[in-house]
Amino acid sequence: MTAPDTAVSIGSMSMKNPVMIASGIFGYGDEFRGLAEYGELGALVLKTVTRQPREGNPPGHRTVETPAGMLNAIGLENVGLEAFVRDKLPAALEYGTNIVASIAGEAVEEFAECARALDGTGVAAIEINISCPNVKKGGMAFGVDAGASAEVAAAVRAATGKPIIAKLTPNVTDIAGVAVACERAGADAVSLVNTFSAMAIDVESRRPLLAAGSGGLSGPAIRPAAVYRVYQVAQAVEVPVIGMGVIWNASDALEFIIAGASAVAVGTALYADPAAGNRVLNGIRDYLESHSIARLSDIVGSVEL
Amino acid sequence: MSQAQRRAEPGAGGSAGRGPFRLRAEVVESEALPAVHHRVVLRAPEIAACAQPGQFVHIWCHPPAEIDRPPCDALLRRPYSISRLRPPDGVEILLRVRGVGGRLLAAKTVGDALDVIGPLGNGFRTWPDIGVAVVVAGGIGLAPVPALIARLAASGARVVLLAGAETDEKIPFRVERPRAGRATLPEVAALGAEVTFVSESVEGILITEVVALRLDELPEEGSAMFACGPRAMLKRLAEVASGHIPLQVSLEERMACGLGACRSCVVPVRCDNGTAYKTVCRDGPVFDAAEIDWERLTP
Repeated sequence: MTAPDTAVSIGSMSMKNPVMIASGIFGYGDEFRGLAEYGELGALVLKTVTRQPREGNPPGHRTVETPAGMLNAIGLENVGLEAFVRDKLPAALEYGTNIVASIAGEAVEEFAECARALDGTGVAAIEINISCPNVKKGGMAFGVDAGASAEVAAAVRAATGKPIIAKLTPNVTDIAGVAVACERAGADAVSLVNTFSAMAIDVESRRPLLAAGSGGLSGPAIRPAAVYRVYQVAQAVEVPVIGMGVIWNASDALEFIIAGASAVAVGTALYADPAAGNRVLNGIRDYLESHSIARLSDIVGSVEL
Repeated sequence: MSQAQRRAEPGAGGSAGRGPFRLRAEVVESEALPAVHHRVVLRAPEIAACAQPGQFVHIWCHPPAEIDRPPCDALLRRPYSISRLRPPDGVEILLRVRGVGGRLLAAKTVGDALDVIGPLGNGFRTWPDIGVAVVVAGGIGLAPVPALIARLAASGARVVLLAGAETDEKIPFRVERPRAGRATLPEVAALGAEVTFVSESVEGILITEVVALRLDELPEEGSAMFACGPRAMLKRLAEVASGHIPLQVSLEERMACGLGACRSCVVPVRCDNGTAYKTVCRDGPVFDAAEIDWERLTP
């Protein structure tokens, strides 16, 4: 049997396989360099950038571990668009695979400006982060509203010819409705889920463990909730769905794929195992071979109810 | 078997510009220490070959073979200061067993393997013509001190360790109290330091006040101070040392990646236009005290 076909297309971005690294995990790509063969993966999504540099949330605990999970409230600390394009992107492009920029803003026009500035760069696609739970302005405020999400997607669509991916928040009543709104506004794909809004409290001090009070929950605790949302969205949209929600091994990835994801992104697992993405990819290949599946796309959305 | 899986590009972390390496390191010694402390020596040749005092290792606390299964506890790696290098290829860590990660590590026995990334971060900077090196440590902040003392003593400096804790049980070393004279830590003194230890419960004084009293004894030229411990101690030391003696401090903060990517462990540093954030894991854990914005650093 020839090697299974694992290729995936997101608009005009061709990925040799479905495994991506999720935004916010991998910094700008340089920090993890040397700890795995990241160029083997389908795409690397870099940390969200905004037009101006951001300090992020005040110092103090920005991350805490919780049972089967972790809370983070970094607050979109980033070097800003200009420094990103000048100082960070060239090194990331050396990985030799698709580099996806993630952008955010406090206003619709800020997303459009970022997209315009990235249009002439080597990024393969642009992810619009309308789902960060840890900023006071923008962020999830867009993603919880289908109309506002569509407005951002449309503005970015008008600003760039690059494929655009709308990253969705699970903190909504109807995630499929938001996905459909983004699709209609011109998104080439949707990615989900960003983290679940959450809080942990120190019972001695009676204060939240996170300096910011609340944050976003990721980790194995949320995986079934993420799989279900991917299923719901995949039923509702035509565009590819990128699934994420603590994909730690190939079986986790296959759950998302069978639920309807065309591609998957590895996040929190990278903190334990910097080679988690490569391990997931090898496991997916093994599964396809051992089940005599010629093309990955044959099992996308193949869940039987 | 300890085998390097990957070698990073030059400049990707580490004060010596080498590493980090990811290894499967064998536990070659594991010993329970007084109170709730524990000592583990790992065979990690690539790390031992280039580690600097003050750098740390990031350890997956579960069996390496189980890294493909997400655990319910200790999901993230745990950072531990490199306490000592044990030639030819051993890296020693000292831990206070207080959480699930520490319990998992303390349960390891000789022959077990651990998935370790290191050396990480920037360690203490030392230089050849230090005349008197004052090392100040509080509580479990003593963990990285042995490697630092060994380095300073080897460079020819006179090394003075001023260590303190709430009680004797809060440090990973045995305390010796002679009938006359000061309390000392024999294991640390054996590395070539003049040791003073005070506990709040016995001597009833904070080590920072001992430092303040003894600062005048130091020669104006060629003295340097190094510190690791609670933030309140470090902040007081920064006040005491400011304008008198160069001070480097080792900071702690909760981390996720340990590599500078996730921006979890930031601390405020002074810069031209106010304050900026630097990461404890990659820019630190050792900083010049003058660089830290102590007013904005959370207690």
